[in-house]
Amino acid sequence: MTRWPRVVAAGLAFGLAAYALTREAPRVLSAPPEPPFRFVDVAAKAGLTRVLLSGRPDKDHLLDSSGGGVAFLDYDKDGRLDVYLVNGWRLQDGRVVERGRNALYRGLADGTFRDVTDEAGVGGEGQWGQGVAVADYDGDGWPDILVTNFGRNGLYRNLGNGRFENVAARVGVESPGWNTGAAFFDADGDGDLDLYIASYIDCTLESVLDAKRTLSWRGLENVAVGPFGLKGAPDHFFRNVGGRFVDATAEAGLVDKGLGFGFGVRAADFDGDGRPDLYVANDSDPNYLYRNEGKGMFKEVGTWAGAALDENGAAQASMGIAVGDVDGDGILDLFTTNFSEDFSTLYRGVGDGLFEDVSKASGVGPATYRPLSWGTAFADLDNDGDLDLVVANGHIYPQIDRHPELIGTYAQRNLLLENRSKPGAPAFADVTAESGPGFQQLRSSRGLAVGDFDNDGRLDLLISALDEPPVLLRNEGPAGAWITVVLEGKHGEPDPIGATVTLRAGGTSQSRDVAAGDSFLSTHDPRPHFGLGAARVVDEIDVRWPDGTHSVRRRVPARQFLKIRYGS
Amino acid sequence: MKSSPRLAVSGLLLALAAGFAGAPAAAQGTAASPSTPAEMVATYSSLADGILALKRTEEDLVRSILAAANAHAQVELGRAQRAIAAGDPKAAQSALEGLAADVGQIATEGDNAVGAVRKRLLDGGHHHNAAGEAQGIFDEGFVIVTRAAKAKLLESSRAIGQMARAPKADSLEAEWRKVQAIVPGLLKAGK
Repeated sequence: MTRWPRVVAAGLAFGLAAYALTREAPRVLSAPPEPPFRFVDVAAKAGLTRVLLSGRPDKDHLLDSSGGGVAFLDYDKDGRLDVYLVNGWRLQDGRVVERGRNALYRGLADGTFRDVTDEAGVGGEGQWGQGVAVADYDGDGWPDILVTNFGRNGLYRNLGNGRFENVAARVGVESPGWNTGAAFFDADGDGDLDLYIASYIDCTLESVLDAKRTLSWRGLENVAVGPFGLKGAPDHFFRNVGGRFVDATAEAGLVDKGLGFGFGVRAADFDGDGRPDLYVANDSDPNYLYRNEGKGMFKEVGTWAGAALDENGAAQASMGIAVGDVDGDGILDLFTTNFSEDFSTLYRGVGDGLFEDVSKASGVGPATYRPLSWGTAFADLDNDGDLDLVVANGHIYPQIDRHPELIGTYAQRNLLLENRSKPGAPAFADVTAESGPGFQQLRSSRGLAVGDFDNDGRLDLLISALDEPPVLLRNEGPAGAWITVVLEGKHGEPDPIGATVTLRAGGTSQSRDVAAGDSFLSTHDPRPHFGLGAARVVDEIDVRWPDGTHSVRRRVPARQFLKIRYGS
Repeated sequence: MKSSPRLAVSGLLLALAAGFAGAPAAAQGTAASPSTPAEMVATYSSLADGILALKRTEEDLVRSILAAANAHAQVELGRAQRAIAAGDPKAAQSALEGLAADVGQIATEGDNAVGAVRKRLLDGGHHHNAAGEAQGIFDEGFVIVTRAAKAKLLESSRAIGQMARAPKADSLEAEWRKVQAIVPGLLKAGK
């Protein structure tokens, strides 16, 4: 009898142990891990309320649905980002109902913006706006604003007192036509900024006003005609000669031989030879990669360099461009956004300005197959030390909404893809659904710029949408450490275009370049930003200035805006 | 000036149509089922000869474009081989990049300027290989280079481009053999 309880106890213990072995280990109760991304639209609260007009509701012409660019800039050099928005027109029954005005919003200390368009004089003079590129073209220390138009371009010279003057006619960049993407860059290494402006279709305002939707789309709907069936307009290259821009397209070897339907433009040193090359995204035509041969001469090498076509050898309907080293191998990679039911394309840089299409293997292709994509950027949105990918989406045919059997809708979600690359092996995962309410909105988005508007070390997103005010997605994620480099050039100019910043921290290396003209018809915050993860100190920061000289800083504490002047 | 041939043909057809319409009813017969006037059939037949001849001319022209690119490629290949043998990497790089561009142009049936012409033809509804396109054999507007050949040639073009900075005679020879396994077949008339 005395043994009985012991036997029972032993049996019970054995039973419990056996039960425990067959069951999942009990979970420790704790809060679920916080998603690394959280974006909230604060545009209205921050005062960005300008409605961006875009032709007719039914989008009878492609101009009605091309949308416009956006820019982050610091026009008054107060250390806070300002915002520039490009506006279109509203049309109805073959006539102009309203000519939208571009908007300049000054960033205030409390994170809101004040509309200063009128006092600055940058409303656009009634032109139908397309793109924006920001750079100090005249080297006077103040950032100027180029606005490309369907019509005559505007070049707003910053007078340094809060006012601008449109000098486009005087300096020779009006170039009437359907101008789209633009990039300032020092093409010939003479120390001043030259300019490339892409063009889309050769057409008149009359043809836009009279447009009828006569293209049968999949036999279901009549939609806007083009770009097939319409004539492409030639791109232009302007050389800066003492502050005036001279058309040097042919002389520089930049003739748009294919009359491609040009949209995005990005200058960057793709082959690492110290000279800026040029990439042009063409809608439905091969993209151009112009290699800088020195002395301001270029050679188009896109096809054999692997950056003109997709992996199947097909030209895609390219809209926007992102450039950056996504896999940490020290070589620039390239991304183009494309039409729906086609991959947006990730070209991995393999060195010497050569590329291979890794869209499928990297996960970028499948994630971008359904939407129709426009503005884009590589940016470290969670400050973990690698470049994530953001893509603005929206269809061009509102009529698609009448056909649920088709892939896509007119208003679409933008995409956020988290970088999960290993060196030499780009990989991205779609984290849109876990990226906060800002990424769940449905709009027909177009332009996109990245910038830290509230100077909290986390990159925010500014996105334009057709016939709506812009979206300003504030980054409220649990981001890691960071550092932002604020560059001042040889002549005191802010953000010298073509400068490259390379940083070493925590055993890895990252680099960023300063560009004017990027994404889809847009310009990002020019201050190179780096996510640092858990690192508290940056081992080394190396600035390569446009003239090839270097400035180096060592053992720099994280979480700061670090100013570096040329020659220091 | 551009439209004068079109006007002449249209004029001829209108004249024929007017002649037909003006013929007396008795001459047309009453019992027989109406038939297309022989003159119109003959004119259409002549027009068809012209259209088909133009199509052959287009094929010959594109073949000439390919032949020219191939001939240029041979020259660049020779330059590259000599430069590699002489240990002149700069000359080899230039020749290999030229060769890569030539092979790329064979793949795409010409450069971007030709692409613009092709685009115009497609815009006008002209598909040289409409049936082949429908079957996925040809890319839109392509005349001679099949989709499969294009993909292989583009791959070789990129591979040769990659060799430019570190040229090696045996790798070049191997890649060139791949190109030459395709190109002579494309250059052969009457495919």
